[in-house]
Amino acid sequence: MTGVSVLVVDDEPAIHRFMAPALAANGYTALRADTGAQALALAVNRRPDIVVLDLGLPDMDGKEVIRRLREWSDIPVVVLSARDREIEKIEALDLGADDFVNKPFGIGELMARLRAALRHRMQEKGETPVLRLGPIEIDIPRHRVLREGVEIKLTPKEFDLVAFLVRHAGRVLTHRQILREVWGPAHEHDTQYLRVYVGQLRTKLEADPANPALILTEPGIGYRAGE
Amino acid sequence: MSIDDPSRADPEALLAAAERETRGRLRIYLGAAPGVGKTYAMLSAARAVKASGGDVVAGIVETHGRAETEALVADLEMLPRKGVPYRGRLVPEFDLEAALVRRPGLLLVDEYAHSNVDGSRHPKRWQDVQELLAAGIDVWTTLNIQHVESLNDVVQRITGVRVRETVPDTALQKADEMILVDLPSDELIKRLADGKVYIEDTATRAVQSFFKPSNLTALRELALRRVAARVDSDLVERMQGSAIKGPWAAGERLLVCVGPDIAAERVVREAKRLADLMGATWFAVTVERPGHVMSGPDRKRLEAGMRLAQTLGAETRSLVAPDVAAELLRFARFENITQIIIGKARRRRPVAWLRGSLADALVTAADGVAVHVVTAEADEAGGRRFDLPPLGTLPGYAAATLGVAIATGVGLFLSRFVALPNVSMLYLLAVLLPALLYGVWPAIAASALSFLAYNFFFIDPVDTFTVARPHELLALLVFLIVAVLISALAGRAREQTRIAAQRMRATRRLYEFSRKLSALADRGAVAEAAAVELHATLGRPSVILLSDQGALSIGAAWPPEDRLDTASMTAAAWAFDHGEPAGAGTGTLPSVAWLFRPLGGSEGGARIGVVGVERSLDSPLLDTESERIVGSLCDQTAAALVRTMLSAEVTRARTAAETERVRNILLASISHDFRTPLASILGAATSLIDYGPEIPAATRRDLLLQMREEAENLDQMVRNLLSMTRLESGALELHQDWVDVVELMNRAVSAVRRRGATQRFVVTSAPSLPLVKADQSLMDQALGNVVANAVRYAGREARIGLSATVIDGQLVIAVTDDGPGIPAEALPHVFEKFVRASRGTGDGGDGSGLGLAITRGIVEAHGGSVSARSPAPGQRNGTRVALRLPLAPQPETEPAAEEGA
Repeated sequence: MTGVSVLVVDDEPAIHRFMAPALAANGYTALRADTGAQALALAVNRRPDIVVLDLGLPDMDGKEVIRRLREWSDIPVVVLSARDREIEKIEALDLGADDFVNKPFGIGELMARLRAALRHRMQEKGETPVLRLGPIEIDIPRHRVLREGVEIKLTPKEFDLVAFLVRHAGRVLTHRQILREVWGPAHEHDTQYLRVYVGQLRTKLEADPANPALILTEPGIGYRAGE
Repeated sequence: MSIDDPSRADPEALLAAAERETRGRLRIYLGAAPGVGKTYAMLSAARAVKASGGDVVAGIVETHGRAETEALVADLEMLPRKGVPYRGRLVPEFDLEAALVRRPGLLLVDEYAHSNVDGSRHPKRWQDVQELLAAGIDVWTTLNIQHVESLNDVVQRITGVRVRETVPDTALQKADEMILVDLPSDELIKRLADGKVYIEDTATRAVQSFFKPSNLTALRELALRRVAARVDSDLVERMQGSAIKGPWAAGERLLVCVGPDIAAERVVREAKRLADLMGATWFAVTVERPGHVMSGPDRKRLEAGMRLAQTLGAETRSLVAPDVAAELLRFARFENITQIIIGKARRRRPVAWLRGSLADALVTAADGVAVHVVTAEADEAGGRRFDLPPLGTLPGYAAATLGVAIATGVGLFLSRFVALPNVSMLYLLAVLLPALLYGVWPAIAASALSFLAYNFFFIDPVDTFTVARPHELLALLVFLIVAVLISALAGRAREQTRIAAQRMRATRRLYEFSRKLSALADRGAVAEAAAVELHATLGRPSVILLSDQGALSIGAAWPPEDRLDTASMTAAAWAFDHGEPAGAGTGTLPSVAWLFRPLGGSEGGARIGVVGVERSLDSPLLDTESERIVGSLCDQTAAALVRTMLSAEVTRARTAAETERVRNILLASISHDFRTPLASILGAATSLIDYGPEIPAATRRDLLLQMREEAENLDQMVRNLLSMTRLESGALELHQDWVDVVELMNRAVSAVRRRGATQRFVVTSAPSLPLVKADQSLMDQALGNVVANAVRYAGREARIGLSATVIDGQLVIAVTDDGPGIPAEALPHVFEKFVRASRGTGDGGDGSGLGLAITRGIVEAHGGSVSARSPAPGQRNGTRVALRLPLAPQPETEPAAEEGA
């Protein structure tokens, strides 16, 4: 994974101070931006492979940075945010951020999220007809789900849901994103559908539905397919 | 169960029963005449209750020295009577307070209709009984039928004796049980002859005429009927209460029209009797024509009639409409009235000839409503006094004389040139003017003078008063008629104008008062304004008492007064507790010098206080107009007081919201400010743990340094927070010692440098700078916050100067930077909590907004002051923050012994 460049956007010098050596230790090249404007400029000029973005910036809202990035790029974005600002996180994810990390964070957690985001962006590009998630195998063209080779009967909606989650495995998907994709824009707020279907999926797919390992809940935000 | 289930119990009946359950129960022993044995019957029954274990106390029992009665009382507990001072001696009276304190299960109170002597709490004993019942005590009492208010005139017609002590029918209706004590007339007369009957009124002639067999029979019939009606209504109530289907009373509703004539009271009593007979609810209504002004005596009579109706249990309404009959019928239809009762004077007034009587109009238009016409007896109708108009003033007569003189002069002058066909026309003018301006008597004087002058100067034989031809007298007649008619009309117009003007003044006053009130913010000011206004309106001392958690205290009084005597306070408290007027001119504590009215409490609102008006010497009561004004003033005042209370509540709520907001900002700010250093520490530490070997040694050391610095930052923040808490709670303790300011400044600079400040620092000080007496660690914090602030906002390449000088006996420490400065609008607030200057190009916005606030708190705790200027003096930009500390007398230069003390 050498040659990967990471754009770190944060107005706190202290963050850059420890991030730079940590990223270097992982073989990444760190790019530093203190403001939103700098970040956007660097994203254009240096074409980083992934962005780590703090939402509180002095010159513009971090969400604005995501919006502008998404106008021309699908570069993975991992958001740094305070734990008590759920709404902000959801908005950032809806705007197209890939994942989030709560401040303060351990460096190991951040690196894991960065790797996941990078990997999945590559996988999405590949458009593989068969998706895998642990013991689960999803055959998109034939609409079949196999668990350890045994076919599991799913309703069409269940299939759409699990396919959508697994296609973005590792990435947090907000309730709204899932509902819009699977049920359509009119149902963006019908989170109760989601709870019911996720419950059903878990009983059908998980080894232990009470302690799910495949479909993980991000409390208050959405779901993520585990890896 | 559906709502219109016909077998459902009538809620009203259940409600009445429920109210009675908490109240005490009242039993009345009713007799037709004195001597039938009411007291005896009551005592016998009470003994039976006591024998079966009841808690029976005799509150007051009149034995009239009869042995058999006294024997019955002997073994009952008796409340001692209270001596009430009256005209220099003590009158033994029923002790209401003692009874309320004793709280027996059953209290015997003889003579329901008794009048208490002046100075008692209530003027009438039945009012005492009401209070006992309200307190939940059961009461038995006795009453003779002639004391019942609605039967008052009937009794008078039967017996010829006017009974003065009466009990309103409402007080009678409140009885839960009514027991008739009856004795045949002959037997009663025999007992009277034997001397077994005690008669209060010793006028034997009256007694003789009272105790006639025919009278007694009539009274017995009244009593029997009364009790029978009572039994009937009990039955109806029980049936309604238990939802028994039955033949209901026809649901009659009566309406009595009360007018200003003397027969009004009779009509009202008649209506009451009719209503009782029918078991009907009844209304007493007056209809006024708009613009019609009633004379004072008329108004008084009308109000007396309405008051009587109210005491007899009618619902009263005042209506205004041009057509009395139509309005009555409209009201009747609206209220489902079935019977209308009106009075009719036997002698018709001239106006009635023209308009047709109300009775005729009603009978013509009434459809499905029975109309009863009660004719007033001649003496009653004739009893209406004709009020002579006032005699007129001296200027009036002078003007009349002058007018006639001028008319005569003009007449004589004109008659020289032209032959006037009738000079009397001129005199008509002379009569007209005083009639218009001065009233009827000057006008009559003018007409008499005119007649004389006309006769003397113009009628043959001239210069004599002889009337040659009788038809000349016609002139006199015309003058007189003109005088009376015009002056009556003018007088009425004047009176109407006067009343209209008076009302307008009152309305304007009220309007201005309400405007004044609306500008007042607190309770005290409103009360004060109300007291002044009342005093100005009535010309009597006024007081406003306000309730604070139920305890009344004087809110304001005019003229200023800070205490009321105990009796007045008792009356005020009673008015407040019961929500009814008390004191002078009312049924409760009438001997008190003040009349108290409750303030607020109408329409479900809370009672706020009491308004008191001192009674004037001539009359304890307010006249109607004043009553109306006081009513409006009270309403306005109550509304204003409620408003001030609400606004006080709003202020409280707003303060609470503000506190909440500040707390939220504090929390958000703290969590943000703690998170950044924590993120650095955690990030650096985990980097070292996870990737330590791959990181070059120099970078490893940098990460470790970062961790230390951020930990120090955290420590600084915690110290600031603690100081803020101590400053706010006033728990900041100063450990003062001599402090070298230069050392202080150097420490502040090295502290920020250690934390990575890149700016250039210049520390200067005046030569031989004195020491200051201060708390060293707190001053470190105060100055440290200012310097840290400059580092944060002035920019990475800024120059930051620290200087210390002595100006005007104060030591001034100034921190000056050449950064972008603070915006002018933010400058006044930089020392407030949670205020942050907008983020400039500084390298961090992590200030909690507490730093400078703490600096100010610390410096002020030292008796000093802080100030900030931007741009800094002598510069185009930048900020200068100055701390001023007072200088104490300097210590000995040699180390003194006290140093160690």
